[in-house]
Formats: sequence, C-alpha cells, structure tokens
Amino acid sequence: MAAPIRILTAVPICDGHDSAINTINLEFIRHGIEVVYLGYHRSVGDIVRAAIQEDVRAIGISSYNGGHIEFFAEVVAVLRKKGAADIKVFGGGGGTITHEDAATMRRKGVDEIFFAGTSLEEMVKFVHQRYGKPRAKRARAKSPDIELAHQLTEIEDGYVKRKRSTSNAQRSTSKSETRVIGFTGPGGAGKTTLIDELVLRFLNKDRQSRVAILSHDPSVIGEGALLGDRATMINSQNDRVFMRSMATRGQAGGLSPATRDCLALLARSGFDYVIIETVGTGQEAMPFQKNGIVDQTVLVMNPDYGSRLQLQKIVMLDLADIVVVNKSDLQRARTAHAEIEQRLEQNRRSQRLVDTVAKRHRDAGVDKLFGLISGNAKATHRKSK
Amino acid sequence: MSKLGQVVESVEKYNQFVLDQVKRARTDQKFGRDLLGRWNDIKAKIPTTRAPTGLPLPRLALPEIDEPGEIARFLFGEGLPGEFPFLNGAYREMYLEPIREIESFEKNGGNGRARSPSAPDKKIPQAEEPTRLFSGLMLAEDTNERFHYLTRHQRTHRLSTAFDGPTLYGIDSDADGVFGKIGEGGVAIDTVEDMVRLYDGFDLGSATFSASMTISGPAPIIMAMYIAAAKRRFGDSVVPKLRGTIQADIFKEVQAQNETIFPIEPSLRFLTDMVEFTTREMPRWYPISISGYHIGEAGSTPVQQAAYTLSNGFAYAEMFASRGIPVDQFGPRLSFFLDCGLDVEYIALARVSRRLWAIGMREVFGAGPKAQLYKLHTQTSGRSLIAAEFKNNLTRTAAELMLAYMNATNSCHSNSADEPFTTPSEEWIRLAAHGQAILLEESGIFKHTMNMLSGSPGMKAVERAVEAAILEEFREIERLGGVLAAVEDRYQRSQIQNASHRYEQQINEGIRPIIGLNRYRNGSDDMPEVKLARTPRKKQQLQVDRLTKFKKKNAEKSKRALDKLAAVVESGKNCFPELLEAVEICSLGQITGRLQEVVGRFRPMV
Repeated sequence: MAAPIRILTAVPICDGHDSAINTINLEFIRHGIEVVYLGYHRSVGDIVRAAIQEDVRAIGISSYNGGHIEFFAEVVAVLRKKGAADIKVFGGGGGTITHEDAATMRRKGVDEIFFAGTSLEEMVKFVHQRYGKPRAKRARAKSPDIELAHQLTEIEDGYVKRKRSTSNAQRSTSKSETRVIGFTGPGGAGKTTLIDELVLRFLNKDRQSRVAILSHDPSVIGEGALLGDRATMINSQNDRVFMRSMATRGQAGGLSPATRDCLALLARSGFDYVIIETVGTGQEAMPFQKNGIVDQTVLVMNPDYGSRLQLQKIVMLDLADIVVVNKSDLQRARTAHAEIEQRLEQNRRSQRLVDTVAKRHRDAGVDKLFGLISGNAKATHRKSK
Repeated sequence: MSKLGQVVESVEKYNQFVLDQVKRARTDQKFGRDLLGRWNDIKAKIPTTRAPTGLPLPRLALPEIDEPGEIARFLFGEGLPGEFPFLNGAYREMYLEPIREIESFEKNGGNGRARSPSAPDKKIPQAEEPTRLFSGLMLAEDTNERFHYLTRHQRTHRLSTAFDGPTLYGIDSDADGVFGKIGEGGVAIDTVEDMVRLYDGFDLGSATFSASMTISGPAPIIMAMYIAAAKRRFGDSVVPKLRGTIQADIFKEVQAQNETIFPIEPSLRFLTDMVEFTTREMPRWYPISISGYHIGEAGSTPVQQAAYTLSNGFAYAEMFASRGIPVDQFGPRLSFFLDCGLDVEYIALARVSRRLWAIGMREVFGAGPKAQLYKLHTQTSGRSLIAAEFKNNLTRTAAELMLAYMNATNSCHSNSADEPFTTPSEEWIRLAAHGQAILLEESGIFKHTMNMLSGSPGMKAVERAVEAAILEEFREIERLGGVLAAVEDRYQRSQIQNASHRYEQQINEGIRPIIGLNRYRNGSDDMPEVKLARTPRKKQQLQVDRLTKFKKKNAEKSKRALDKLAAVVESGKNCFPELLEAVEICSLGQITGRLQEVVGRFRPMV
C-alpha cells in the first residue's frame, strides 16, 4: 500500500477567506490525502517553513484577496532558495485569478491554478495524479531541517510499506541534553494552545534554544487526515521551532506506528526541548515514559470532565508527572482542582498540579508550568497551585 | 439566564400579548371601538399621490380590514412603518418621491407633470437616498477620485470605504511580504496623512456627508485616524458633527471574517472604549455596524445570519450597558448590516430582525423608541455572484435589490457584476449604481407608496417560519451559556462552516441550480476578459516611500507615544483619548504592534 499523499494548504497573509479551503480540505481528506492545514493570514515564510518540516509533496494556496502573482511567486522562490524545489505549488482563487495571471504564475513555477467552477473531483484527481507517484530518489538535503524532515518521512513511510515493525528504538546511547516532554489529555482540553504558549516562553528564555514538536491527529488506515494543530499555533511558526504533524494511520491510542522511532530521532537531533502531543487519557496515550524516551509527562485536563466518577477512568492521572487544569477561569475549575488534587494525594507520587488559562496572554499559571518543565530539578513537592 | 434568554422570553410574551389584544378587541366593546376609530383616523390622513400615468395611489398602503381584532393584530403585531415593533419599516416614509398633486395633473390636461406642492408640507421629510456604494482601491488619492466620481450626481454624499488586506489586519505597507497586497481589494491606509488624502474635497462636518468604513480588527485605531484627519482640516469643532459608521464588529470577525488581531477580550475592551467615547462626543456617528453580511457570505443560512447578528447585537448591548453607557445613549448609535441573496428567507429576513430587535431592546434593556431601531444597511450578496457568464450577475443583483427594498433597508450597496474577479471597475460600478436608481427612481414600485409589497400571505408565512427558526437559534446559544461562551466554543463558526459545506455540496449535486454554473452552461469554460483594477507597482512603492518618510519624521516622538499608550492600556483605563494622540505620529502598524505586545495576538480559530 502506498503512503498517503501529504499536502499543505494555507491562505495567504492579509487574507481571511477560508471558506473555500475548508471545503477543499475535507474533500482531499475524504480521498485519502493527509492535509496539513496552516490556516489563514499566513506569511510566505511560515508556509515554506511548514512545508519543509512537514515534507509535503505540494502546497495548495487559496487566495481571494489579491496580490496572488507576487505571493505565489515568492513561495516558489523561497522554496528554491532553501533547497526544497521538490515541493510543488498549486492553488486557486475563484474568479480573482485570471487566465493571464495564471499563465504568469505558471511561468514563475506554479504547477496549476484552478479557476472558478473547477469541481472538487478535478482537484482531487489532480493531486493524486501529479503528486501521488512514489518519490524519485531524493537529492541531498541542503539543510539540517530538510535532512530531518526527509528522515521522518522515511520512517513514516517505512511503516506503511511494512519495512519496519514497532521497534524498541532508544533515544541514543550517549547522554543528550535534550529534554523530552509528553503532553496528553482529552480532546478539547487546550493542549495545542498550551504548547504554543509554552513555546513562546521557550523562545524568550534565550536566543538559541530550539524546540521540536511532534503532534498527532487521528486517521483510519488508507484514509486521509486533517492535521490542523499548526493552524491555531502562532508562536510555533518560528525558525527555532521544528514541528511535525503525524496522522495515526489506523493505530488506536492516539499515536502512529511510527511515533516511537520518530520521537527517538527527534530526541537525538540536537533540540533543547522536544514536545510530543497525543490525544488520550489512558496508558496507551503516553507509553514512552520512564526508561523510555520521555523525561516528563503532562496531562492536560478540561475542568468539564463530568463527575468525580469520571476521573476514575483517567489512568493518566496516576502516571503523569504534572497534571494541568486548563481553562481554569471556568466556574467548574475550582471543583475540578479539588477533586484532582485529592486523587494526586492518594497516589503519593510527587505529582504536581497546576491551574492554567492557556488562552490568556501572559498567564501566570502557564508561567508556573513552564518553570516546572524547563527546570532540571525533579519534582520535590507534592502540591502546587 | 443571560440576556439572550430574556430576549426569547420577551418575544414569546409579546406575541402572546398581541393575541390577547386581538381577543380583547373582540370582547371589550370600548377597546374595539377605539381601535376602529384610530384605524379610520389613520386611513383618513393618508395623502394621495399619482403615478406619472395619472393612477391615484395612497401614500401608505394598509391591509383592507375593518374588524377590530385584525386591526389589533396589525397595529400591535406589526406596527405602522415607523412604529413599534417596526416590522414594516424603521421610519414612516422611505424611498418616496415628492407627492404628485391631483390638481396639477388635472389642470395640466392630464400630462402628469409633477410639481412640488406650492406650500411644501414640512412634515413630510425628503427621503434620504439609500445608495451607499462600497469602494476602495490603490492609494488614498485614487480612492478619493473614485469617491468623487460616485457621488457627483448625488444630493447627499454617502461614502463607503474598502481597505486593503494589510490595513484590515493592522499591518503597515512596509511590512515583510505584503508588498503585492498594497492597494489590492481596497485602499491602503497607514497613517493619518493617508486619511486626510482619502476624504479630500469632502466637507466632513456637513449634514449631507457621511462616511462608512468597513474595518473591524483595527477599527478603534482607524476611527482615531479619521477623527484626527477631520480635526486637521476643520478644527476641533468638527468632531461632534461627524457622520458615518465604522464596522468594528469583533464577534462577526471571530465567527466568520477572520480579521481579528487581538484576543477577544482586549478586542472587546478597545471597542467599548471607542463606543464610550463616540456615543458621548460624536452623537451622529455609528461606532459599530453589527454585521451578518460576512456570516452569510462565509456560507451560513439566512436564518443563521440573522440570528447570530441579532444575538451578537444583544451581547454588545449587554457589554455597553455594563460599562455604564445608558441604553438610550448607545442604542440609537447601533447599526446593522446584512446581505441579501436569492434564498426565499430574504423576503422577510430584515423585517423579522427589525421586529425582534425592537422587542428585545424595549423589554429587556428598557430602550426608548430611538434606541429600539434596527437601522439596517444591506449589501447584495457577493457569494451569489459567479464568474461563469458573469453578466447574469446584473439580474441576480437586481432581484436582490428588490428584496432589500421590500424589507425597507435604510441603506444599500449593490454589487457589481464583476465582483467575482476584482474590486469593481468603473463600467460595472456605474451599472450597479444604476440598478438602485432604476428600482427606486425609474420604477414605480417603491416611490409612490410606502409598504407597497408588505403583507402578502407568502411573506407572512416566511416571516413566521424565519422568526421561529431565529428564536430556536437563540435558545441554542443560550444553552451554551450565551454569545461569548458560544463564540469561544466555536459554535457559530462551526455552524457556518457546516452550512457552507452543505451549500457547496448542494451546488455540486445540482440541488441548488446556479444558472451558467451547473445548469444551462454555455459549454465553454473561457473566462471573460474583464478590465481589472490592479495596483501598479509604482504606486505600491510610493506608498512604502511615503510611509518611510512619515516614520522617519516622527521617529523620536512615536516611541514615547507608544509607551504612553501601552501604559494606559495596562492601567485598564479607557485608551481611546490616548489613541487619538498616538495616531498623529504613529502608523497603524506601529500601534497594533505595540498593542499586541501588551495584550497578545489573536489566536486563529479554524
């Protein structure tokens, strides 16, 4: 079976027209394509960086606000400059892109422009035909990021072709300065926002710290996926942040078959911090703890989990090093904090509890959480607020 | 229960009250007689006018009823135009031409020449032209030229400004990567100097001038620039005379248009700061245009558009009231903005909205008559216009204009047929403007008789269905904890996206026929060559150069001004007066950049 085609889609800077691309994303996904969606109002730099890190076959840009000739041309030019000319560019803009414009854009290196009235079927067919062939032998990577991106693809695709099986890959034999932190928790708890806020603090800590993020989105074998975490992240679109979005490709538990190997690779690639984000509350959501690759695990909870009885089902409450009650501005949060605190006390495992409001600018709770994960001290206290 | 829940209750109660009045009119003899007397009185006072062909017509059309119960149902349930609950119109007379006297017709041997009455009846005001055409292109001086072109035949100068991408996002023209977007889709505004150029030659303080500015994320900053520009030309005394609107609708941005630049709470705070200032200092200015247009254009159903617009409006009312602004001070300063498409709901969408707003504002917020008014600007739907065989768009827009006027919209923009390709070119703008004139001035449909098309059984059926559906949406939002909670939960946004997706699917499957697109295609997929309005590189460079000069000139003072602004924002005090100072020497991008450092950037919702 062939590996799913990975495409990046985005709407250019100063453009908020996402109605068309939302529909197109869904159509692509329905036809087995993995779509890394970057969202709207995205600069050339952000788009190219993401495309390279995600090692997509092509970038699809939906532009309705004008300035498309320059914008598309710039994307192509920057891709070339960075040694990623193998990533192609296509797009559309309803009726705002004329035939004449499209001809100019093609001359500047754009593969295809879809005009108003193009059916969704046509677009899907185009992507499958143009970008579905197995990759030609890859040119030598011109930068560490590209090298890393290629390697991650090799690992991921290796699992599809069943060339690899779940390995017991370790981080490395030598000691590494990299700190690997795992984030998990139920969907909607705000993990992505929280991670993005922590990244801001990582980046402000000094001038050279580099962070890697490995995030997951669910998909069924043979089907596509919407890898949409990047779309809501603003601080993580930064040259010092390497982010890779992975579809679970049929594996239960919130991880991909390739996760362990990919995580091991990132952990020995010279980052100061590696963040892995999965969805889940059971043990399978973070299997790499202790003696594995992950140094510290953070469980992010939504205060609206229901009754205390529901907490019983959340195994990660017993395993996570740090438990975060996010959205702690909600009324329910005080009760949630109390109930979770009680559970952690019963565990007697030196777990920490932090309340955050990740959506809040300069949130003190996020500052505190940052202190806990960026420091090298083990948790010595039992409670914190 | 949030205010929205109270609104639902108040509407249900009012509808019951109407039924009770109907019953009372039939059982309480005196009440019934008084109603009948009042009705006959109203009818007797209606002047008669004549069509150019001589046909006599009443100036106001009323249902042909003489039974007290039905009279009660009409007067209480619908209201005369200009009377609570305003179903038939916000004002008594709209769109009407001067009365054509009977005598002058007969005296002149039946040639129907119109003559104004020799003693003009001062009680019938000259209807304000509803035309307000949306435009903006290239640099400020180019848009200024277009403004003059558009208004050269109008009695009143009613402008509507479109801004380019960087301006809408609060970014300067010299920012990284936006060069190709300068002046595209709207005018490039970076500084107060641009603002001065933009409205050059217009008397900003005059009663016949008003400017609408379509911008929401950075609205308070742009508002401050407009005021500063006006003061530069006319002095401080012009401020209370300024007329116009600024869109400034944050909820709609988060739900649909995606042009929010600060997080929601600070965005709402800046908005309230501006509203507090303008409702006090600029009594003729509308500091917010609570918009459904973008919600509809992003793909919502008409009911969703109306419901989210209204509920956003009630949320704003609640917010402004909490700030301590009296409802009768901010109420009359709220304006609304809807699109008009070809779906059947549009027969009654604005009418129903106007009625629900009035009831909610009066019963829940204690608003007086002026604060109960749902003052509406309509724009024909852009999404309904397609690229294939685009000249059909003239017909689409004409039909939409009909619907808009049937709903007694106070202000109207008609899209140009080349809308799918570009900001309108001169030729198609002319036709769009003429579309309004043809319907309002040339045709006899709206200019003789008020309430001409209201009250058909079909319209009433649509009214009932639409109202019930809107109230159901209110209940759902209430269940989610109110508007702000629903917004943060992405409720409205996801509903809009689902509706959009369904709409596209229906087109794909042919359930929604679109002539020229999925039905009666003419076989070729050739795109017509339309003259496009694109900003030449030289002009884009000129804008960048001017901006550089401005920043250099003000380099020293601007940093201090930004520090002062940041301090006021941190302090929690109303920051609008400080903004007025800052725009004199700082650019839009400098100000938004600094503010974002203090309050953060908006995290996109997808």
